[in-house]
Formats: sequence, structure tokens, C-alpha cells
Amino acid sequence: MDFLLQGFLKGFALLFTGDPETYSAIWATVGASSLSMFFSLTIGVPLGFFLGHKTFIGKRILRTIVDTLLSFPTVVIGLLVYAFLTRHGPLGGTGLLFSIPGVAIGQTLLGLPIIIAMTANAVEGLDKRLPITLTTLGASPQQILWATVMEARFSIMLAAMAAYGRIVSEVGISMLVGGNIKWHTRTITTAIALETGKGEFAMGIALGIVLLAVALLVNVAATGLKKKAVK
Amino acid sequence: MSTPVISLNKTRQVFSGRQVLSIDELDINQGDIIGLAGPNGSGKSTLLRILAFLDAPTSGTLSFMGAETSIKPGAVHRQVTLLVQEPYLLKRTVYANVAYGLKVRKKSDITTKVHNALIQVGLDPESFSSRQWYELSGGEAQRVALAARLVLKPKVLLMDEPTASLDTKSAKLIRKAALKARTDNRTSLVVASHDLDWLGKVSDHIIYLEHGSIVETS
Amino acid sequence: MKRLLTIALTLALTVALTVPALAGKTLMMATTTSTANTGLLDELIVPQFLKDTGIEIKFVAVGTGKALKMAENCDVDIVLVHAPASEKAYMDKGVLIDRTEVMYNDFVIIGPVADPAGVKGMNVAEALKTIAAKKAPFASRGDNSGTNKKELSLWKAAGMAVPEKDAWYVQTGQGMLPTINIANEKTGYTMTDRGTFIKYADNNGGNPPLVVLVEGDKVLFNQYSALAVNPEHCKDAQYDLAKQYIAWMASPETQKAIGNFKLLGKKLFIPNAK
Repeated sequence: MDFLLQGFLKGFALLFTGDPETYSAIWATVGASSLSMFFSLTIGVPLGFFLGHKTFIGKRILRTIVDTLLSFPTVVIGLLVYAFLTRHGPLGGTGLLFSIPGVAIGQTLLGLPIIIAMTANAVEGLDKRLPITLTTLGASPQQILWATVMEARFSIMLAAMAAYGRIVSEVGISMLVGGNIKWHTRTITTAIALETGKGEFAMGIALGIVLLAVALLVNVAATGLKKKAVK
Repeated sequence: MSTPVISLNKTRQVFSGRQVLSIDELDINQGDIIGLAGPNGSGKSTLLRILAFLDAPTSGTLSFMGAETSIKPGAVHRQVTLLVQEPYLLKRTVYANVAYGLKVRKKSDITTKVHNALIQVGLDPESFSSRQWYELSGGEAQRVALAARLVLKPKVLLMDEPTASLDTKSAKLIRKAALKARTDNRTSLVVASHDLDWLGKVSDHIIYLEHGSIVETS
Repeated sequence: MKRLLTIALTLALTVALTVPALAGKTLMMATTTSTANTGLLDELIVPQFLKDTGIEIKFVAVGTGKALKMAENCDVDIVLVHAPASEKAYMDKGVLIDRTEVMYNDFVIIGPVADPAGVKGMNVAEALKTIAAKKAPFASRGDNSGTNKKELSLWKAAGMAVPEKDAWYVQTGQGMLPTINIANEKTGYTMTDRGTFIKYADNNGGNPPLVVLVEGDKVLFNQYSALAVNPEHCKDAQYDLAKQYIAWMASPETQKAIGNFKLLGKKLFIPNAK
């Protein structure tokens, strides 16, 4: 039980003493999650928009598939990406295996269903008067698209926070695709898994505190963004 | 006589097997102010949506400036605008809402134009410009939506029950704004309203609809 | 909004691109979790090899089964494992070559201080038979690791079938320390490598609830070998670097350093390269 308090205090110690291993892990986590969030959003928002906005044959089936992918276990995603990036795989030899960009690819696959499903929902839930309002104000099809995405911006921001939470806390992908290599692909979560596996529970808690600190910073920034979005 | 701005010819609108509108001929000429009257369900809103090039008639022709035009978002919508009964405001400030159409057309001098449009609908620009879309009463929202359309100086302004949520004073303001649009920019207006008194004061002539057909003109 | 996205992307790309750019020569190694957990690689091998040759070893610590599979998939250039039977199988397959024994330590059977099954001092075969007969709880790694394979071979050597379905035989599917902790929770026995036991004892302030009861039996011998990935099997394998590593591991200086390596004040490995 006392590893909880020990770990809690140790977490702050790691952050404020600038422990190099901890900061290397923070850097790895920030790098991978930033890349994957960028791609999840730039690919996912347009796809989600398309899925929510247009009617087409098979729309319901596609929607169901996307919703089911929300439950994709991270270890399985990790295995899938590993299968592609391994030497003999289709993308072998790209040097992406055991690298942060490789991890980001897997994490993008994790975040995409969340962004797509929630954006589609947001777009579907938009006021039915929006399209004709935009049309009657003279907006071109591209302008209608952009304005519609803007109308859904609060829900999309929520989707981004949900995807970020899932991405930054996952272990399966980072472990399998990254390899937990010290100084290179050891993220905060794989470090937690390692320490816990070694029985170093206090260290596991400490790193958990570090991860929450990183997430807190991101959330503060996002709140600032939300305030700006209302202007 | 010059080409009518909007023309309907043998136009029928059918929804779920029921014919809701049947107009053999209707011309909107430049500078006309036409009132639309009739009981609920008489087809006023349906007609306005067709005139706004938002809904395509089931049969018959719909022309803009003499040429048959489709309802796909295009040039016609930069000239013809519709104010629906319960207008939708974008999730932005009042200023941004009124400015939207101007931004879409890449117009300049937006601040002045928005300022003037707000004054025209009786909203003080100082206190209203930075209000959020959710900080408005029904009547204020309706006036913001009207300002957003007046500011575009459209060829045709269509309005569905524009004074529904307004008091007498504001209704008078709207009448003045509508007449000013015709005087300043030769805007044509087609206005549907239950308020026959107000309609009479603003329109050149009134079309009475019943069960989708014109029964009387005055 | 756009500014934040730009910042995020710049950050991410900087991380992603600078890291490979800074790397000099790199040797990809697969090794086992128990090897990595001793700290031998982090504290001695990796830094010293970098100093002596300028080559950086990047190692992934996984179960033996996975390490060998990764070699077969050509994801690594060299493996450092301790599972002779599996090593032979992969050499027969032509995946691994240049097997070089570099050091050994031993396994021990540990159990509660009170030793309810009474196996202290027995040889391995007797001890396992006794544990089975008394249905004393026994925790197994159950994860196809080198340690796990060794444990399974001990049951066979004692003339018994692996007690797969028996309730007292607990297959944890986890690393050595968690498995020891589970054995302790059940007041039972387990087989562990000496290195992990030293750590476990240290974690418990020198007074662990589970102690060494069976040791020294020849079957508990734990031989570590380095094997290079066959360049004929994996054309991109950095065979030259792998050979350099193997030669370096077997060199007198390195062997001496390995012999002097202490884990929490106790010597752990006995160098035996020829």
C-alpha cells in the first residue's frame, strides 16, 4: 500500500529534478502522440464529415464498422502494424519498426475510428437548416463544407480529447511497434509497464503521475483553444 | 418590359404523392415587392423555397434572369436570398453572422457594412456586435438574420413571416428596411405574412394562395 | 487553431527526424527480459561496446520465443538468449549462425521459508516429484521464455508430464518478478534465475518471504549465448557489426568485466567464452 504514497511523491521528484530517463520518455510520448493526433485529425475529420453528411449505399454498414473499430484492442493494432513493418512485411525495410513514427502509425489507427465516429455524429446532429442557410447566403460547395465543419467544432474538439486520451495512455502499440528501447522508443506507458513488470510498483505510480502532468498541460492548452473558438 | 428576375412556368410541387403547389405563371420583376398571403398549409413556404432555388419543382420551369437555373449551390444564390420563419444563426458572434455572406463573396469594408445593416434592423452595433449566438432573444435573432441578408444587397430577398416574433415598433423598422432595399438597390422582395395589415403597407400587390394555387391578386 | 496544429506537427516531426539523424552505427539486438533486468546490458555491455567500437546497441527485451522470432523476421541483427535447444532449432533452420557461448549463471528453486513441501536440499527431480505429490502451489512463467522452457525441461527430466491442467500449477504468462510475487501470494514454489532472485531479495530488504531451497544441480545450469542473424536468411542483417559484437563479448577484457559485474553487491555471471 505504501508504494502509492511513495510513488506519488516520487512522481513529482522525477519531474522537478529533470530526471533524464523520465524526460526521454516524456519526449517519446509527446512525439508519438503529436504525430498521431495530427494524422488522426487531418484524415479523420474529413472522413467523418463525409460519413455524417452524405447518404450513400452501405452507409449504415460503414458506420457500424467504424463504431466496432472503437473497441479494437491496442495490442492487436500493435500486432497488425508490426506485421506490416517487419522486415518481410509489405513495409519492411522502411526503418519504421522500433521507431517513434512507427508507433505513431499504430496510434493513428487507434485514434481514427474515434475521430471519424464522433465527427460523423457531430455533423449528423447539426441543425437541418444549416445547409440551406449557407446556400442561401451564397456559399460555394467548398465554403459550405468548411462552414459545416466549423459549426461542429466543439464536438470535434471533444473527439480530439477522447482520441488523445486513448492514444497517450496506450501500451500495446508502443510496446510491440516501438520495442520499449531505452532513450529511443521508451514512452511513459511502456516505461510504466516495464517497471511494474519488474515489481517496481512505486516507480510505476510515479510515471503515472508524470503522464497525468503531461495530459494536464495538454488539457489546459485545449481549454485555451476552446475559449478562442467561441469568439 | 425587361426580363423578370425570377420566372415560374407551369410549376408543380408534389411531396409524397400530394400536390402542394400549382402555379401556372409567376414573374418577379426587378424592384417588385410582392406579398404572399393565405392560411397555413396554403403553400407559401413551399413557393418561397422554390423561388429561393433551394427546392426544385417536381415539374415546370424555374428561371433566373430568363435562363432555366438548377438549385445546386451556385451564382444564383449570390443574388437570391431567403429568410426563413425561424432562422438559423451560425455558432458565432452577431458580427460574424452578419459578415458571413460578405466574407464568402470576398467583399471589402465589412465592418462599416455590418454596422449599417445592424442599425437598419434596429440593433445597436456597439452592444450587439460581440454577442454570441446563444445570447439573443427570438426577435433579436430574427433581426440579425435579416441584417445578414440585407447587407448582401441581393437582387431578390425572400422573407417568410419576418415579423412573427417582433413587436409593432420592430415590425415598422423591418418594413422601412425592406422599402429602403428596394429604393437603394432595386431589390425585389417576396414576403409571406399572416399580418395582412403590415403586408398591405409594404407590398405593391398581394398574392393569395389556397391549397397551393393562386386564388386572388390585389 | 492552425497555430496549435503547426506547433504540434513541428514538435512531432522534430522528434521523429532528429533522432535517426543523430544515430551513428547501430546494432539491433533482441534479448530476454531476465537478461535486461539484470542491468548487465544498460550498465556494462551497451556503454562499453559504444566506447570500444563506436557502435550503439539498441536492444528489445522480450521473451526468448519472441526474440528468436524477431531474428527470423529479420527485425534484428543479433540475439543474446539462454535457451540452447531453441537456439539449435533456429540454427538448423539457417536463421542464426556463429553461436558463441559467452557466460552462464544458474536457476534456483525457491519457496517459503517454512518449506511446507519439505524440498530443501533435494536435487531437482526429487524436489519436483515431491511438490507434485503434495500438490504444493507452483508458479510457472508459462510464456515460452527461456526460463519457462528450462522449467518445462526439468519436469520432463524428472520423468513427469508437465502438470498443465493441475490446479496447483499456476501459469502466470508474465515476467519473472511478477511470477515470484504470485508464488509468494500462494505460499508456493517457483523456479527463477539467480539474477532475478537477487533483485527480489533486495526489494525485500534482504529478507524475502521466499528463499532458495534447491540449487547447484547440474540441470539448473543457465547458458547464455550470442548468435548472429544469418545474412543469407536476412540480406539486410548487419552481419559485420554482429561479428564484431560476438568477438568483443568473447574478448578477455569483456569476459573479465562480465565476471566482475555485480548485481546489488552480488556476482551474477560466470564468463565462459572459449
